[in-house]
Amino acid sequence: MALLGRAALLLSFGLVVYALVGGSLAAWKRRRRLALSAQNALVASFVTTLVAAIVLFIALGRRDLSFVYVAQHTSHSLPLGYALSAFWGGQEGSLLLWLLVLTGYASLAVLLNRRSRELIAWTVPVLGGIAVFFAMMLCFVSSPFATAAAPADGAGMDPSLQNPYMLAHPPMLYLGYVGLTIPFAFAMGALLARRTDERWIVATRRWTLAAWTFLGVGQLLGAHWAYVEIGWGGYYAWDPVENAALMPWLAATAFLHSVMIQEKRGMLKIWNVTLVSLAFCLSIFGTFLTRSGVINSIHSFSQSSLGGWFLGFLALVIVFSVALIYLRLPLLRSKTKLESLVSREATFLYNNLLLVALALTILWGVVYPLLTQAVNGETRSVSKPYYDFFLHSFGLPLLLLMGIGPLVAWRRASLRALGKTFAVPAAVSLVTGIVLLALGFGSSTPGLLAYTFSAFVAASIALEFIRGRRATGSLSRLVARNRRRYGGYIVHAAIVLLAIGIAGSSAYQTIREQSLKPGQSMRAAGYTLTYVSLGTRQLQNAQQTSAVIDVSRGGSHVTTLHPGKSWFPVEQSSSNDVSIYHDPRSLGDVYTIADGISKNGTLDLKVLVKPLVNLVWAAGFVFVFGSLVAMWPDAVEQRKLADRYAAVPV
Amino acid sequence: MIALSVAAVLAVFIVYTSIAGAGTPEIGPSTVGQHVGEDVLLVGTVVGHVGGNAHAGGMRFLLKDDHGAAVARTRVLYSGSVPDLFRTGRQIVVEGTLRNGTFVAKPGSLVTKCPSKYTPAKSNA
Repeated sequence: MALLGRAALLLSFGLVVYALVGGSLAAWKRRRRLALSAQNALVASFVTTLVAAIVLFIALGRRDLSFVYVAQHTSHSLPLGYALSAFWGGQEGSLLLWLLVLTGYASLAVLLNRRSRELIAWTVPVLGGIAVFFAMMLCFVSSPFATAAAPADGAGMDPSLQNPYMLAHPPMLYLGYVGLTIPFAFAMGALLARRTDERWIVATRRWTLAAWTFLGVGQLLGAHWAYVEIGWGGYYAWDPVENAALMPWLAATAFLHSVMIQEKRGMLKIWNVTLVSLAFCLSIFGTFLTRSGVINSIHSFSQSSLGGWFLGFLALVIVFSVALIYLRLPLLRSKTKLESLVSREATFLYNNLLLVALALTILWGVVYPLLTQAVNGETRSVSKPYYDFFLHSFGLPLLLLMGIGPLVAWRRASLRALGKTFAVPAAVSLVTGIVLLALGFGSSTPGLLAYTFSAFVAASIALEFIRGRRATGSLSRLVARNRRRYGGYIVHAAIVLLAIGIAGSSAYQTIREQSLKPGQSMRAAGYTLTYVSLGTRQLQNAQQTSAVIDVSRGGSHVTTLHPGKSWFPVEQSSSNDVSIYHDPRSLGDVYTIADGISKNGTLDLKVLVKPLVNLVWAAGFVFVFGSLVAMWPDAVEQRKLADRYAAVPV
Repeated sequence: MIALSVAAVLAVFIVYTSIAGAGTPEIGPSTVGQHVGEDVLLVGTVVGHVGGNAHAGGMRFLLKDDHGAAVARTRVLYSGSVPDLFRTGRQIVVEGTLRNGTFVAKPGSLVTKCPSKYTPAKSNA
C-alpha cells in the first residue's frame, strides 16, 4: 500500500516537472502539440495525486499503524470520521492535500480555458512549477508514506481537534489558499505571453471569487470552532496563524474590487498583477508561518525542517513575480487616468488602499518579533491593542466606504448628486447613532461607530434594491439580470451583519467569574445562573464531568446549561466542554465555562454574555449566498464577453 | 501614482507607530531579571510542582527557559482561567511584571502552546 502511494507521488512529480519544462519549451517555441501534452500531463498529475490521496485515506480508515503518519495521528479508539480527518491533521497529509487541490484546480482551469491558447500556453508551466515544489516536498522531504514497525496503538488525536468543525475547516482553508494559485498563475502566464489585456482577469474571475469565498468560510468555521471548542469565550485572537489566513483574504478582497476597474476602465493594470502576486505570496507565507514555528503562536506547530524550504520557495516566487512585472511595465501602463477624486474608480482605490494597508499592518505585527530580534537581539511582540487600533482606523472607514462606493458614478460624480443619493442613508445612520447614544451605547466609541456606519451601509443597500426593483418590476429579475452587482450587495450586507456581530459581542460583552458551591447563584447582564449539581459519564474515548446550571431571567426559568470538562486517557489531556445558550430575543449568547472543578464539588464558573454574536455566524450564510449569486454563470455576460474577444485576434 | 504615494505615506505611518508603540518584550526566565518592574511576556516551560488555586489566592509554579541549558527558574504567581493543556512540562506564555523575585502575572493572561496539535507522538512522550 505505502509503496503504491510513494509510486503515485513520484509519478505526479515526474508529470508536473514535464508540465513545467515541456510547457515552457512549447510556449517559447510555439509548439502546439507539445503544449497540449504539457496540459495533459497536468491533468494526469491530478489522477496520480488522487491515487496517493486514496491510499492515505484507506490507511487512515483501517488505522494501518505501520504507516508512521497514521500511527502519529490516530489511535484504535478514535472514531472513523476523526481518523479520516487526520489527513489534514498533520504536516505530510496537509502537503498532500495541497498538491491534490492544486492539481485538481489546475486541471479544471486548463480544461476550461483551452481555447485561449496563447494565455494558457504560459499558464501551464507556471502551474507546473508551483506543483513541482509541493510534489518535491512530498517525495523527498516529508513523505506521508513512511513506514515502520506498527506500534500497539497510535498516539491519537488532540481532543480539541476531535470536533465536527475540524472535518470542514482545514479543507475549506486549503481550497481557499490553493485557489489563489489560479489567478496568480494566469496573471503570470498573461505577462509571460505579453498579453496584458483583461483576458486573464475574465478567465479567473470565478476562481478568485471561489477561492475568496472558501477562505472566508474557512475562517468563519475556524472562528466558530474556537468559540465552541477552545472554551475561552472568543472567536478571534489575532494569533499569527489566524492572521495568516486573514491577510490573503484581505488582499484577495482588494483584488476582487480593483479588477472591476481594469475591466470597466482599463486602469490599475500594474496594481492588479501586484495584488494577485501579493495574495499568492501571503498564502505561501501563511503556510511558511504555520509550518516553520518561527513565531510564537498558541497553535505552535512543531519546529519542522519545512520552514526553510517554504522560505526559499517564497523568495523565488517574489523574485520571479517582481522581475516579471518590472520587465512588462511598458505594456502595463494604462491609457486612461483617474478623472476625479470623487468617482466610483476613486472610491475603489480608497477601498484598495485601506484593505492593503490593513493586510500590511497585520503582516507587520506578525513579523515584528522576528524584526526586533534581528535588529536589537530582543524579541518584542505586539498584541491585541496594536491590531485593534489598526482594525478601528482602517476597518471602520472601509465599512463606511462600502455604503458610499457603489452609489458613486463612474468617471466623475457631482457633489450635488451625491448629496441627493446619500440623504436617506445619512439620515438613517444619524438617527441610529442618536438613539444608540441615548440608550447608553456610548460606552464604546468604536462600537457606536460600527453600529452607525452599519446602519448607513444597510440603508444604502436597501435603497439600491428598492430603486432597482422599481426599474425592473421584480426583485428576482433584477438580481438575475445583474448577478455580479447584486451578489456583491448581498456580500456587503453580510459584512454589515459581521460588523454588527463583532461590535456587539466584543465592545458590549459582559464577563463574570465566581466560585460556587451547589445551590449558590451568580448574576451576569440580567441572567441569574444557579449551580445545581455535578455529574460524570463515560464517553467512547473520554470521561466527562459536567455541572448542571439553571439559567433564569426576571425570575422565570430560561434554560439549563451543562458546562464541564472531559478527560482523554489515551491523549493524557483534558478539554473544556463549554455550554452555550442562544437567546433568540437578543441574538446573543450566554456562554458558560467550567474553569475549575474541585474534588469537594466547588465550581469556578465563568460566564460571558455576548450580545448579537449570532449575527457573526448568520453573516457566513449570507456571505456564501451572495458569493454564489455573483458567481452564477450569466448567459448575457458570457455573450457580451464572447463578442468582445471575437474582435481581438488570438 | 496616487496609489503608490498614499501607500508610501501609510507605510511610514505604520513604521512610526510600531516603533513608537514598541510592543511587549518576550523573554525567558534567564533574562527576566533585567526587566524588573516592566510589563513583559514571559515565555518558558513549566517545571516541578504546580501549587495553589488559580481561583483562590493564586496558582504558583516555576518556569525555565524553553531551550538551552540555563538553570534560571522564575517563580510565577497566576490567577484566572487556566487553559486545558496547562501542566508540568508544557510551554507557556504569560504576561506580567517581575516584583521582588516573583513574576506576578496579569489575570487571565496565561496561554499554553499546544505542541501536540501537529506532532502528538513526540510531544506527548
